[in-house]
Amino acid sequence: MTKTGMIDFRGVNKWFGALNVLKDITLSVEPREVVVVCGPSGSGKSTLIRCINGLETIKDGDLIVDGQRLGDPATNMTQLRTEIGFVFQSFNLYPHKTALENVTLAPIHVRKIPRTEAEHAGRELLAKVGLADKVNAYPAQLSGGQQQRVAIARCLGMRPKIMLFDEPTSALDPEMISEVLDVMVAVAEEGMTMMVVTHEMGFARKVARRVVFMDAGAIVESGTPDEFFSHPRTDRSRAFLSKILRH
Amino acid sequence: MLENFSFRTIVEYLPLFGQGLFTTVWLSALSFVGALAVGIVLCAMNLQRGFLFRAPAKAYIDAVRATPLLAQLYFLYFGLPRLGFVLPELVVGILALSLNSGAYVAEIIRAGILSIPRGQVEASVASGMTYVQRMRLVILPQAFKVTIPPLLGQAIVLVKDSALLSLISVAELTRAGQLLASDRFMPAEGFLTIAAFYLLLYYCLKGLAALSGRWLGTAGART
Repeated sequence: MTKTGMIDFRGVNKWFGALNVLKDITLSVEPREVVVVCGPSGSGKSTLIRCINGLETIKDGDLIVDGQRLGDPATNMTQLRTEIGFVFQSFNLYPHKTALENVTLAPIHVRKIPRTEAEHAGRELLAKVGLADKVNAYPAQLSGGQQQRVAIARCLGMRPKIMLFDEPTSALDPEMISEVLDVMVAVAEEGMTMMVVTHEMGFARKVARRVVFMDAGAIVESGTPDEFFSHPRTDRSRAFLSKILRH
Repeated sequence: MLENFSFRTIVEYLPLFGQGLFTTVWLSALSFVGALAVGIVLCAMNLQRGFLFRAPAKAYIDAVRATPLLAQLYFLYFGLPRLGFVLPELVVGILALSLNSGAYVAEIIRAGILSIPRGQVEASVASGMTYVQRMRLVILPQAFKVTIPPLLGQAIVLVKDSALLSLISVAELTRAGQLLASDRFMPAEGFLTIAAFYLLLYYCLKGLAALSGRWLGTAGART
């Protein structure tokens, strides 16, 4: 048997009704590797990473995450999810909780870390993402960029092995994108295993080991950021890049 | 016309109206607590995936919403004794109001829970929370805020519905009006006075709704 990665897709298929949204996906992500997933809208990139923590279920093929096979009765999905941070496009912070409470909620109730310890760690994490002064602010009082940084801190609070990002900067005003990307770069440089759905090429070039290009549910091309952005090999990826690079 | 209207008789009957008002208030309050309990249980059943829990809850809610409260009340008051359950009329009244209002409360709570954006569920699922933790820590605290105003609306409906209990001779507010109407043959005085008291109760609950709205509006507004 081949060496298993941190995230291992082996011939994974998924349908939404008659629509084959993931087509025979085979992809392995190694520990500490950063993989960027891009592709046109509706190509299945979000579905791909949502399968990893079970927000979507797969029809056939194997998906092995941190050594555990998804859908296997022996796999405790709730337990596995504590090892996987997920950052949403729309942040999804808890509106009735302060920034600090957002960060400490799961550590206290799921990880069973003592409150004082969790709060101490939470404050440090918020300081790390540049929000030491927003500890007691509610999400509605924060800008989009600040909310997304809280959301990243919320994931880090669980001390996950894997972080997944689903278009983390797509809902942000342009001037707030870099503050979020900077935090993501810092997380990547600390050796986090990451899969990031994004079209931010600067980020991909800086930290990604690989760029995976998807179209119509299939992985069309995969390579280093330099290869992919400078010498795309397929017509579809060239057409896609010409569109996102034009402006 | 107006010279026939006897304020003196109203004043004379005030103690009776006061007693009726007091009864209406406490039995409505008790019924509302009962309705909340019934509603929470029904709603929890209705939100389960299993048909076994959902089907009876849905059938119950439909049955209550489709039939007149008066028919339900008469069934409990006249029908239950025939089946071997003899209960005092006050208990039957509170039971009827609780069971009836509970169906509406269940739907209000369900609407509140379903109004919470999908992203909130996903975020809590992704952080490894169990169903119970998700409900307790994330969904219900947010749904609570959304449901308070419509729940107080339902409380207003319940207070008015409690007037039907006069028909099974519970000595509540409407019963006091009926007594004035039949003893002294003064229906205008009797029913106008109880209407004024219901209006008073309505404003009290409405004020409470406004207060709770302001109180809930302060912390953690929706993004």
